[in-house]
Amino acid sequence: MIGGLFIYNHKGEVLISRVYRDDIGRNAVDAFRVNVIHARQQVRSPVTNIARTSFFHVKRSNIWLAAVTKQNVNAAMVFEFLYKMCDVMTAYFGKISEENIKNNFVLIYELLDEILDFGYPQNSETGALKTFITQQGIKSQTKEEQSQITSQVTGQIGWRREGIKYRRNELFLDVLESVNLLMSPQGQVLSAHVSGRVVMKSYLSGMPECKFGMNDKIVIEKQGKGTADETGKSGKQSIAIDDCTFHQCVRLSKFDSERSISFIPPDGEFELMRYRTTKDIILPFRVIPLVREVGRTKLEVKVVIKSNFKPSLLAQKIEVRQNPMWFCALE
Amino acid sequence: MPYWGADDAVAELRRALSNRHAQADRLRYRNVLLRVIRRMTQGVDVSGVFMEMVKASATGDIVQKKLVYLYMCTYASRQPDLALLAINTLCKDCSDPNPMVRGLALRSMCSLRMPGIQEYIQQPVLNGLRDKASYVRRVAVLGCAKMQKLQGDTEVDGVLVNELYSLLRDQDPIVVVNCLRALEEILRREGGVVINKPIAHHLLKRMSDLDQWGQSEVLAFLLRYKPRSEEELFNILSLLDGSLKSSSPSVVMAATKLFLVLAKDFPQVQTDVLVRVKGPLLAACTSESRELCFAALCHVRQILGSLPGHFSSHYKKFFCSYSEPHYIKCQKMEVLCELVNDENVQQVLEELKSYCTDVSAELAQGAIFAIGSIARTYTEQCVGILTALLGLKQEHITSAVVQAFRDLVWLCPQCTEAVCQALPSCEEAMQDSEGKQALIWLLGVHGERVPNAPYVLEDFVEHVRSETFPAVKMELLTALVRLFMFRPAECQDILGRLLYYCIEEETDMVVRDRGLFYYRLLQAGVEEAKRVLCSPKSDPSLGLLEDQAERPVNKWASEFNTLVPVYGKACWAVVTANWAMEPRCGGFPCAAPMTAGTGSPTFS
Repeated sequence: MIGGLFIYNHKGEVLISRVYRDDIGRNAVDAFRVNVIHARQQVRSPVTNIARTSFFHVKRSNIWLAAVTKQNVNAAMVFEFLYKMCDVMTAYFGKISEENIKNNFVLIYELLDEILDFGYPQNSETGALKTFITQQGIKSQTKEEQSQITSQVTGQIGWRREGIKYRRNELFLDVLESVNLLMSPQGQVLSAHVSGRVVMKSYLSGMPECKFGMNDKIVIEKQGKGTADETGKSGKQSIAIDDCTFHQCVRLSKFDSERSISFIPPDGEFELMRYRTTKDIILPFRVIPLVREVGRTKLEVKVVIKSNFKPSLLAQKIEVRQNPMWFCALE
Repeated sequence: MPYWGADDAVAELRRALSNRHAQADRLRYRNVLLRVIRRMTQGVDVSGVFMEMVKASATGDIVQKKLVYLYMCTYASRQPDLALLAINTLCKDCSDPNPMVRGLALRSMCSLRMPGIQEYIQQPVLNGLRDKASYVRRVAVLGCAKMQKLQGDTEVDGVLVNELYSLLRDQDPIVVVNCLRALEEILRREGGVVINKPIAHHLLKRMSDLDQWGQSEVLAFLLRYKPRSEEELFNILSLLDGSLKSSSPSVVMAATKLFLVLAKDFPQVQTDVLVRVKGPLLAACTSESRELCFAALCHVRQILGSLPGHFSSHYKKFFCSYSEPHYIKCQKMEVLCELVNDENVQQVLEELKSYCTDVSAELAQGAIFAIGSIARTYTEQCVGILTALLGLKQEHITSAVVQAFRDLVWLCPQCTEAVCQALPSCEEAMQDSEGKQALIWLLGVHGERVPNAPYVLEDFVEHVRSETFPAVKMELLTALVRLFMFRPAECQDILGRLLYYCIEEETDMVVRDRGLFYYRLLQAGVEEAKRVLCSPKSDPSLGLLEDQAERPVNKWASEFNTLVPVYGKACWAVVTANWAMEPRCGGFPCAAPMTAGTGSPTFS
């Protein structure tokens, strides 16, 4: 599988280097630097082949993460692994930057040891890793702590350990949605979709079973068979969700049969589900662009943004970002 | 890159490590170890402090142990005698009460590459397979694979293999997956791990326990299993149904591949699978992570090769957004070309038209070529668009348009008229070789319809001395001779001058030979030359029948979800051409390319 993992800064200096298999030599590190990081033309593709070795890379701000392999692997899996690596590192020390990497050198090597063995991904759940790889180094553990850790690392429910206790049991839910809109220059809406995430922060004791419901269209149809037309009249708003994906802890079988989301949540913050909708989207803003050419050297662009919210709602910190204008080379 | 002062660095580190005060203070000592590792990462050869590092491994601090073992794994092959000293500590750690320490020691021991290590690691690995902590078992299983690699070509240990097969029933899911991986490596020469009916059914039952990596790999292993009856096949498909909609794109791809391969005798099922996987694939194509987007787009293109209409209704998803990187835009444009149909052609062409004026010249040219390929089916609209683009008088755009015209005229002779009308407007100085060649070719072949063709060619002849590309000169010769056949009065003088230059003054031998050839041909007489050069052409109204055979799904199903669609078939053939010839990596230090800078394959 993955033969080696390298992390470089923006100058191409190697920050972390870990080789897992025999067929990757030290030259691989330099090859990537010369051919990709310092390549004169724009980066062509996230998969590069140099001397029969494939280099997959991901860039996070100024840091390059490269996975190297000589085998015919699944591209999607390698990229997913690189993302997971980034997620784990972010969960430990925040933003991925050169300074953070240099300061957490030991931690990253420990993580690389744990997550990839012989080039194969092993247990990569952040929660589990955090119990036995900590930034302060491992203090000598008592026997109970040891058994707790091993039971979580090896237990049936890998994402939550037994015996969590909180004085106050609390649960926070955040729904984060982003509306993506594609408009033609004439102002006509070509396509729009909403992608949303439900993020949950759970501070609950024991192994609690939670249930989560949504006003999904199918639920309402099931409740009142044949009254599908009356949903508008009764005032119940239903939404049609195109597809949704859940965290590993959600029991999918129950979702298919009863459309109910039941799960035992991991401790702390995690993403419960991700969903996408493409129908019945009420756009929050209307964007009207007007472009006028004034003579051969001047272009006037007017962009009108109207908000579709009720006038009683107030908003703070609205940011409108416009891509920098470019001009074709004119004679 | 040579690192000056490597010896100084080593001496300094040795002093720091042997410092009694540093050894007493745990944190300070750890910092020194950190410095050693940092130097190692930078490429400095710090194998000189091996002795001190061996002494450092005798500690209770796990983090320190990890650093020391990491160092040792890298340099053991350089200092095998010293590494032997560390074996003692490692063996002791393999029986430590803490399972984390046991696992760490086992893992490090298996990664030490030095001759004679086998006799020391065999027993701990076998013990580890039976350890009660699953953490240790996971490490031990992969340790077997590492051990086998060290042994190279020797006989495979049957007892070990049996033990691993029985560990497939372990209750820890990661142990199970590791067993599969280890068996695959150990039995590589015999074709890898064997998936028979009981194993296949056992794996299917445990699928829900596995994490995304495990599921991906098990789905790949199940490719080997051949179900005995149709009923069994459909049972398996329905069991794995959920994986098609998994949240992890790699699992979705792996499941798709498995379904396509298992159902190779049932094209209906294959089509059904491709329909169901449309949603997740589209979601991956529009995901925020660009690399996954790229991988998904490559696979979409592969599917479109067999089912061209599959994504036609979702063409809007493949419109490029401004901020996307170049490689994604290229892929999306190619996808757009392939999913064009009567309903969406207007919109797609509108969209491509707007890319033609993109800032990046490469992208603009790519868009123009895309329109050119759509023009094979929707000729009139596309020719109209391309002609309009000529009006912009931008060098790279004009060049690409002329090339697109040249290709189009070849395949769709019915548009020749329209093309010839557009040509007179693009004589302005084109700098690049491809564009010039295309223009000259068009003028040569269809010159009788373009009124000022000889004068454009005359322009080129005037500047032939400063022309740098021999290909352009060759094209010029051919075109002028062709045109001379139809418009002798206008071209005679120009042709004469060109031939004179090519024969007398040209230094490139290929061009000169071509010039001589035409000269001698013309010497034989104009009629003779005409007979040779202007052989009868096929009826232009017939058009060209292109081979539009859709590739059946089974041809590429086994390559789905590998690197083949990502690289493209041609490139992959080059990559794998020499794989068969490379010697198997036996793993002994003299052959292992892992040692820094010695005997590693050269990188182009």
